Amino acid sequence: MADYEECEQMDCALDLMRRLPPQNVEENLLTLLEILPELTEDLLAAVDQPLKVRQDSVAGKEYLACDYNRDGDSYRSPWSNAYDPPLADGSMPSDRLRKLEVAANEAFDTYKELYYEGGVSSVYLWDMDDSFAGVVLIKKVNDGTARSKGSWDSIHVVEVLEKGRQARYKLTSTVMLYTVASGAKGDRQSEINLSGSLTRQDERELPVEDAAAHIANMGRMIEDMEFKMRNALQEVYFGKTHDIVNGLRSTADAGEAQSRERLQRDLFSQLKARKD
Amino acid sequence: MSSGSKLAKAAGLLLHSPPGEVDDVFNDIRGIVGDDEALQSHIEPVLAESNMQQFLVAEVPGGGGSKVLLTPYNRAEGGRFVDPNTRTTFAFDNLHRTASDPQAAEGGAGEEEEGLRAAVQRELDAYVAAHYPAGAASAFAHAGAVVACVVSNRFSPGNFWNGSWRAVWSYDPATRQLNGSAKIRVHYFEDGNVQLDTQSDFTADVPAAAAGDDGAAAKKVVAVIRQYEADFQQSISDGYRQLADKTFKGLRRTLPVTRNRIDWDKIANYKLGGELAHAAES
Repeated sequence: MADYEECEQMDCALDLMRRLPPQNVEENLLTLLEILPELTEDLLAAVDQPLKVRQDSVAGKEYLACDYNRDGDSYRSPWSNAYDPPLADGSMPSDRLRKLEVAANEAFDTYKELYYEGGVSSVYLWDMDDSFAGVVLIKKVNDGTARSKGSWDSIHVVEVLEKGRQARYKLTSTVMLYTVASGAKGDRQSEINLSGSLTRQDERELPVEDAAAHIANMGRMIEDMEFKMRNALQEVYFGKTHDIVNGLRSTADAGEAQSRERLQRDLFSQLKARKD
Repeated sequence: MSSGSKLAKAAGLLLHSPPGEVDDVFNDIRGIVGDDEALQSHIEPVLAESNMQQFLVAEVPGGGGSKVLLTPYNRAEGGRFVDPNTRTTFAFDNLHRTASDPQAAEGGAGEEEEGLRAAVQRELDAYVAAHYPAGAASAFAHAGAVVACVVSNRFSPGNFWNGSWRAVWSYDPATRQLNGSAKIRVHYFEDGNVQLDTQSDFTADVPAAAAGDDGAAAKKVVAVIRQYEADFQQSISDGYRQLADKTFKGLRRTLPVTRNRIDWDKIANYKLGGELAHAAES
């Protein structure tokens, strides 16, 4: 009974997070954690939040913090492999997986430079029974001008099931896009906040000749996915929501449109009468 | 945290509900709290506030189909609301959203601003019919001013979207000053949660009409409202263009500068992406 209740609470909490303004996801999640402290771990794992940038002082590089590289209150850097604040027994990938993680971080750092021309990326891998999973994170912030600002956060979770010379990859990708434009016309101030997230999935079975093939396979899947999601974001954010606004208020005067139509009809019937 | 303040926090989330989804958010809150009885006393005032925040359109009981917006400007004592057009007050059940117990409103016709208010209502109705396919508007006399409220909702949950436009305009006949704000919220939720939230505030002086001519004054007030709401809609289109052309494009390229997709088998040879990107540019 208790389990059933918790399960229902979790479903309701997640449904709520899908409805509340994405602009305030951190604030809303904190409120939920205060109401449901017993679900803290589950909620932190299930709700995507904007990625936080942290500084790895050993490697002198920035990395991204999320629930996947968190152990208690510490976060592991993919560059130095150290926890900050230091943890004596923080969870670590196996040696084999750490090697793959180092190579993956290098590869996606290149990917990030080519597509984002800046920003921060981090890849984290963890061992599973007979297999492994990972997450590829990318964050780009555009402070832009005072008039428009934006940020892009990619979270690609990959579950890998190795079977001999093949592997099945299950990819769940979330892109969070926050944009704010502020306009002023005379004494009138307005701010447009267009924000949120989209999630998509893909699954592929691909050949794996050596360990490095995992990086190429995940890379191609993520590159394809980001290409599709960029188009979807463009369509939903700047097409769909704008159409909805213009459906709420029509710029044309419905009365004028009707009288124009009536005028045309009258003219047409007059012309027709003359012809007959 | 005490259970009372937890309940208050949970109930308060209702006020952040996207347009058209108050019932869904309410059900989520019920599921999270898991104690309807304890929640009830906390949720009732929040529901009342939420209905007014959303400018809920109520059918006036015994009003022959007449409708009025529920707002802070026509709330009467005992949780009742006033419809100045039919001069009726009525009780409202905020949970079931039903109106009942109509009674004749006191005063009304004799009030100082009633002539102007009624004239603004007529102009507002014509304006809303012309520009809002699903709109409704009410004008109220409130604290010496005439307050005009406009709401336009379009809910299409089957197509994963809901939207709402709300505006409130307060005209002080003594100073001829018009203050207002318009607010739009759109929720798109197919495989995600995308929301538009925008608000704009206005202040303007309305040109003078002939003394005592309420009809002419109301025309001038609504003409200013019409102009500002049109400007607001235009500024949103400009904002969209800015966000799509500059902000979005500056975040992630469609393809790398090389115009080729990444050769993942060779990616080890890229070594540093920065070097390659600069090499391609030169």
